[in-house]
Amino acid sequence: MLVDNEQILEALWETVYMTGASFLFSIIIGFPLGILLVVTRKGHLLANEPISKVLNVIINIFRSVPFIILMVAIIPLTRLIVGTSIGTAAAIVPLVFYAGPYIARLIENSLLEVDKGVIEAAQAMGATPGQIIFRFLIPEALSSLVLALTIAIVGLIGASAMAGAIGGGGLGDLAITYGYQRFDTVVMLITVAILVVLVQGVQSAGNLLSKKVRRS
Amino acid sequence: MIQFEGVTKTYHSGKQEIHALNGIDLTVETGEIYGVIGFSGAGKSSLIRTVNLLERPTNGRVLIHDKDISTLTSKEIRDTRKDIGMIFQHFNLLNSKTVFHNVAMPLILAKTPKNKIKEQVKNLLEFVGLADQAEKYPDQLSGGQKQRIGIARALATNPSVLLCDEATSALDPQTTQSILDLLRRINREYNITILLITHEMGVIREICDKVAVLEAGKVIEQGSVYEVFTNPKQPTTQRFVRSVMNDELPESLLTKIQDPTQNHSIYRVQFTGTSVGQPLMSRVSREFNLDLNVLFGNITELQGEPYGNLIVEFSGSLSEIQRALTAIRSDSVKVEEVKNYAS
Repeated sequence: MLVDNEQILEALWETVYMTGASFLFSIIIGFPLGILLVVTRKGHLLANEPISKVLNVIINIFRSVPFIILMVAIIPLTRLIVGTSIGTAAAIVPLVFYAGPYIARLIENSLLEVDKGVIEAAQAMGATPGQIIFRFLIPEALSSLVLALTIAIVGLIGASAMAGAIGGGGLGDLAITYGYQRFDTVVMLITVAILVVLVQGVQSAGNLLSKKVRRS
Repeated sequence: MIQFEGVTKTYHSGKQEIHALNGIDLTVETGEIYGVIGFSGAGKSSLIRTVNLLERPTNGRVLIHDKDISTLTSKEIRDTRKDIGMIFQHFNLLNSKTVFHNVAMPLILAKTPKNKIKEQVKNLLEFVGLADQAEKYPDQLSGGQKQRIGIARALATNPSVLLCDEATSALDPQTTQSILDLLRRINREYNITILLITHEMGVIREICDKVAVLEAGKVIEQGSVYEVFTNPKQPTTQRFVRSVMNDELPESLLTKIQDPTQNHSIYRVQFTGTSVGQPLMSRVSREFNLDLNVLFGNITELQGEPYGNLIVEFSGSLSEIQRALTAIRSDSVKVEEVKNYAS
């Protein structure tokens, strides 16, 4: 094997760091967008066709660019934000651009599952749009939201491995430089095994949490 | 008091215009239980939703306590809605929250202090008979219990009006009865005006003071429940009344009546009010020397007043029959010939 345990651990940490940080920023962007996508829909709380249309087009544009191309395409922006286009921190920028719109769609989906009758009941009680969003929509969708965000994390773990291709570090980088380019099958297998365990763990935790918040 | 003045509602679906409400004029007096009945698509849902502006009328006005609600600002609309409770066919409870939290919700929205919420929710749950279920979740309860939570929630802000949107349509007959009893109690004890929509004539008969029949977005008949049930004028109303008054003649009798070769004198005799208790039939039989054959009969109670309905075959001389009919006709006894009952 061409790498030692320490290198693997470091790569694992980089993956966790990249995923975690980009997940956090993606939520900050994606969550409000997801809510906006829902409430600006026709016939919804704050129906607004222009905003709804513009949002949908922008999100669809980002969602249609493959991650590997997105990564390269926004290098100038990445440089502007982090000062460099190489390394773990630099990988976070394209990851956020990838996962933010994705999370917005996932959130939209979950919130749309909430029974329209519940919203109607909230309106009939005299709730403000803000109260309807935070006291009715989100609590009712919470369980489904947790599952949706779990999907997003798993997606980010996969994407962060791809970020290795532009020198982003992490398990993906390790697998490419040692496992693929230098034919070290053992390294390849170990990184894949770690990724499998990681994804399984995240999914199980997500399932558990989702069940727990179903009633709050 | 709720007043509808020329209320219309038009929906646009593509290029098509759908007229859900076609000029509704209706007045619901304070303290009344007013029922609006109609088949699905008649416009009931739209009508009830114009009261709390879940639907905005296209034209016309809705006045609540003499105030035109269409002129209100969003803030004023929200305040008005707090004075109008609403319950729904499918309850529309928060499944992620406990029974307590569901009932507390309107109070939380109104930023009521916590200890006050606790006390009030406790009282409300006691009133609807669910005091021991506070910590349960809606999906652990039966349909009837869920509607009780819905009712408690609707009453939390002490409204003066309660809107019931097909509140018993998803419930079995027995549960329906208990919910209707509860609604009547709310009406009597708190003097809350109730406007309900339903497609079940049984609900109207059970608790309503007044009824309006809605068809194709128009009120085709309205009046007190007693009036409308004893003397329905429109075919749709007659169908609704027949659905609960159970005065269908057996098949064999129908063929007998409809047999053109035979000459029957068959009459429907309706008794209302005090005339129900009188031995009218036997008197007629004696005085006019007629044989009376009661083919069908029932007595029900409407709005606490008895109402009798007999279908009687008169045999004897035709002139005597005519005299007899004139004699029994009065304000409280109505007689009409049954020629062809297949209406």
